[in-house]
Amino acid sequence: MRVKGKVKKSGSNLLINVAKPEELPPSLIFHSVSLPKALGEGDSLTIDVLAVFTHALRPFPEEITQADIQLVLFQDTAHYLSPYAVKVQSLTVKLPKARIETYTKLENTNIHGSDIKYGPYENLPPFSYAPIAVHFETNQPFAVAQELVREIEISHWGNVQVTEHYNVVHQGAKSKGEFSRLDFQARPHLRGASALRNLVAKLPPRAHSIYYRDEIGNISTSNVWGDPKKTELVIEPRYPLFGGWRTTFTIGYGLPLQDFLFGLEGKRFLNFSFGSPINDLITDNLIVKVVLPEGSNDISISTPFPVKQGQETKISHLDVAGRPVVVLEKTNVVPEHNQYFQVYYRFNKLSMLREPFMLISGFFILFVSCILYMHVDMSISKSSPSYLAKLQWDEVRATIQQVVSIINQCLSKHERLEASLHDLSRTGDVQACKTARKTADSLFKEYSKELKPLLSFLQSSPQATQILPKVEELVAKEKELQERLIAKHSTIVDCYEKKIGGRELENRVASHQQKVVALKQEVDDLLDYIEEI
Amino acid sequence: MAAAITSPVPVAWYPTLAIFMLAIGLVVTASFFIYEATSSRRNRSLAKELTTGALASFFLGFGTLFLLLASGVYV
Repeated sequence: MRVKGKVKKSGSNLLINVAKPEELPPSLIFHSVSLPKALGEGDSLTIDVLAVFTHALRPFPEEITQADIQLVLFQDTAHYLSPYAVKVQSLTVKLPKARIETYTKLENTNIHGSDIKYGPYENLPPFSYAPIAVHFETNQPFAVAQELVREIEISHWGNVQVTEHYNVVHQGAKSKGEFSRLDFQARPHLRGASALRNLVAKLPPRAHSIYYRDEIGNISTSNVWGDPKKTELVIEPRYPLFGGWRTTFTIGYGLPLQDFLFGLEGKRFLNFSFGSPINDLITDNLIVKVVLPEGSNDISISTPFPVKQGQETKISHLDVAGRPVVVLEKTNVVPEHNQYFQVYYRFNKLSMLREPFMLISGFFILFVSCILYMHVDMSISKSSPSYLAKLQWDEVRATIQQVVSIINQCLSKHERLEASLHDLSRTGDVQACKTARKTADSLFKEYSKELKPLLSFLQSSPQATQILPKVEELVAKEKELQERLIAKHSTIVDCYEKKIGGRELENRVASHQQKVVALKQEVDDLLDYIEEI
Repeated sequence: MAAAITSPVPVAWYPTLAIFMLAIGLVVTASFFIYEATSSRRNRSLAKELTTGALASFFLGFGTLFLLLASGVYV
């Protein structure tokens, strides 16, 4: 039971406590309300008290068949039970339908449609009690969630994931006899008027990835539609629930983070609703678990009503130590409890980098193990001939790679020389051409010096006997190419100096040019052949 | 007044970032393995191997993270 008082004009909530005064009867529960200001003599105050009672209606008869209507019994007192004297009081019982079976007839009792009015009664002493009972028809399926576990998982990467596990029972009049599906579907209002057919849930707006499943798998009888204010989810269980029948299912949905997580003065807090989003469902035992990201500390909560707190740890994706979980428990929860509560905590922004860092170090270990495998020499016998042969072949390959790189550098220098010739034809600057040729000359001399020791090594090693002639041929051809190119270059420069142009130039250059092209082709072929080894 | 907290990277970018980072990471991985396969023992340089490996693992790590986030596993 929950009591909330408010003053009609200003609409503020007053504080309520459970009181245990000694001189009053112990079989009653007393609540004390703190007034906003003390009432002097002759003053008056208007208070509204809202109290919600669960399991207050008793089905009578307790067992019904599929064709019967559901009748329930409501017992209360017509005189207001209070420790104070009552001057004037009246009671109105509002029933869902006008079909009333029986009701207690005290003095001053009237019926208006579906309302029964008892009163007004005047000048009642304190603790006056006049029991009444109303027996009426209601085809409400009394849906009760015996256990509801709500898990709210926060991820700072942009999502709040809510998972709810329900265990729902129909606690109206119990069903007896057989269940006929044919009758239920042919005449639903006559055969199965009080069955639980569906549940309507009001989720926050912008909910995504909604699922509805149970232990067997996905349940497809559901519908979702959303607007900017809410997302409405209508779910039907696998079978209609009659009295005493139960079903279990799980609902899950994701919500955008910015709607629920806020930051204030260095602390972050989650603002979320406490109870179940399903309309008209009471919960006997509600457990709310808020899973905070790993690395959160300094956790505290603030709820508008008392709850039982606890803490545990959950290990989830990419976790080292586990995520802190705040567990809130409450019994006898009604839809009026669906208010916002807050969970405060501190979180260092750099802790978010821990997750990609774990993945990066995982991949890096993979690469380091590859490097180690290539570097470590794991052959069993270090003096066997095959091992030694392999070592030598490695050396030969390394030398050949060096030779090839030098030759490639030479070839790039050839390109430069040709480019200088093009420049000459454009600008006519003979001097620059000559200097280019001189630098090329000196570079070629250096390259041939570098090549000498490599070639001598290749000649001495027995492994290279097959490849050696090709390499020597390559070096020789490259040298020839160099000489031809230099000759062509000097011819052209000479012609420019002597101002011989056109046809004459072409003739002199022609033979050089042909040879150069042929040699280039051969050098390229040899390079390809060698690189394939 | 409390300010709403959002993710450091806009959520709409997650799939694009995942694809680009994984593509770059795989290209660098390929270059790492080509270097390992074609170089001989004498010419190999440990510094080049380690930097290529580190770069590849950086891109692959972030690519995997954004791939997980884009497919709904909010780690």
